[in-house]
Amino acid sequence: MGFVTENPGVLTTIQDEGRYGYEQFGMSPAGPMDLRAFRTANILVGNPSGESALEATVLGPSLRFGRDNVIALTGADMGPTLNGQPCPMYQAVAVRTGDLLKLGAAKTGCRAYIAFAGGLDVPQVMGSRATALQNKVGGWQGRKLAKGDQIGFRAPNPGLALPRTAPVPAPAGREATIRVILGPQDDAFTEEGVNTFLNQPYTVSKDFDRMGCRLEGPVIRHKTDGNIISDGMVTGAIQVPTSGQPIIMLAERQTVGGYTKIATVISADLPLVGQRKTGDVIRFQVVTVEEAHRLWREENRELEELKARLDRPQPAGTTYRVTVNGRTYQVQVVKHS
Amino acid sequence: MSDYTLRYVGDQALLVEFENEISMAVNQKVRALKYDLERQTVPGMEELVPTYRALLVHYDPLTADLDRLKEAVKASAAQMDLSQLPKAVVTEIPVLYEGEYALDLEEIAKIENTTPEEIIRIHSGSDYYVYMLGFAPGHPYTARFENPFSFKRRETPRVRIPGGSIVVQLALSDIIPFDQPCGWNIIGTTPILACDYRKENPFLLKAGQWIRHVPIGKAEFLEIRRQVELGEYQCKTYERGT
Repeated sequence: MGFVTENPGVLTTIQDEGRYGYEQFGMSPAGPMDLRAFRTANILVGNPSGESALEATVLGPSLRFGRDNVIALTGADMGPTLNGQPCPMYQAVAVRTGDLLKLGAAKTGCRAYIAFAGGLDVPQVMGSRATALQNKVGGWQGRKLAKGDQIGFRAPNPGLALPRTAPVPAPAGREATIRVILGPQDDAFTEEGVNTFLNQPYTVSKDFDRMGCRLEGPVIRHKTDGNIISDGMVTGAIQVPTSGQPIIMLAERQTVGGYTKIATVISADLPLVGQRKTGDVIRFQVVTVEEAHRLWREENRELEELKARLDRPQPAGTTYRVTVNGRTYQVQVVKHS
Repeated sequence: MSDYTLRYVGDQALLVEFENEISMAVNQKVRALKYDLERQTVPGMEELVPTYRALLVHYDPLTADLDRLKEAVKASAAQMDLSQLPKAVVTEIPVLYEGEYALDLEEIAKIENTTPEEIIRIHSGSDYYVYMLGFAPGHPYTARFENPFSFKRRETPRVRIPGGSIVVQLALSDIIPFDQPCGWNIIGTTPILACDYRKENPFLLKAGQWIRHVPIGKAEFLEIRRQVELGEYQCKTYERGT
């Protein structure tokens, strides 16, 4: 047993990079809402970047470890503690059997990730371990974690050489500029409608879950109405139904939709959407497809470089945990020849 | 050669649109384009998602070359051959049109000014074409091409109808895979599963095929349901026109 869920938090699910290849059958891909933070957590513990890990929402879980392993926390700062001591984020941390990891309410952002060396021991469904809550499949019994759930580690690696750290990104603020590519149905809107969308602020409403994020703001005007013959959908699509209020479609969106889509969030900015909270303000900015591809390549290169740097062979050492004046430090002793 | 409109859908997909209508003729173009593209080797091209009048082409921007992908779409649209598509398949869907399993059958018959028997005869008397799947996993959007009903949705949608419900309006009929809210009339219930996660391929149907509703009695319904639960039931499937 890897850990026992002592407190599940508000909405904690097992995710991997998503279940792809079944959208033609109506299967939503699911996967993490902040892919960048998710991948970083996995890289920190030496996993392939798409390995199964936990996504916590708004108020995180408390986990009691049943096996030694190495973990890493990224994304929203939920004030994590390990056995009551502050647990650093964006670095790999050794945990021992009996340790208690406790997350609280998100101080910045909305979603935190907890990765475990070797990933989580849940079955693959259609090639993926991602929980699809709407479809009640994947992850742990197709649902969010509940008190008492015991999840195993697939291949724990308590001997992973430390330290392993990643740069800590600037905390998510309450205002964000989200870059988009116009279309596929931007021509269903009046010129004034497109201008409204691009120049006015939109507020994140309380209707914000893994399926989508409803925004409130000035009405975006259609030429006729917000209906189309249903067509395919991507994550980040911004639907505008006849009401004129936009909805950003996210990880557990449907695969097809019958509303006009004015624009699509670029892949590199989807994590920014995933870290919004109710009341946050979003502004949209247009970029070209070429620019979006450049940003996406850059982000992927940064993660690859992080992985290459961390996975470079290091001299074998022994990690000790030392407590001085009530504060716990991890100390690694390496023998140099 | 088919004319199409190409649109960007974010930075990881393209949309290829044909005429703006729901018709068999247009949907066959979508099907033919998908069939042809799948037979080309295009680096970075990923899942193809067909809908009524458009094909969504997912790609991986790290491995795909956008110009090359557009060229591939152009080549497929030019060379695709509707007459060379594989023969359409029909899957038989057993349906119990009775009592609590067909909540709205009597009402439908009244609206259409006929008998429940005649409604069943109409619903099971034509093949329905599967335009696409979506809304829920394994959920087909199907239509027949003759003798449509005259009614649309119910005035007040139901908050929850059970998975297995067969619902109808106009020329359309859907199989509801899982419990969900629904505003359509329930004409019957099938014991088979449109999506069964226990199976390696969980999905009973795919876009571009046909279904045929076959009336069954209560005893047969219960026997099929028993076999479905054991994972032993196979729907009868055959090539259309044979």
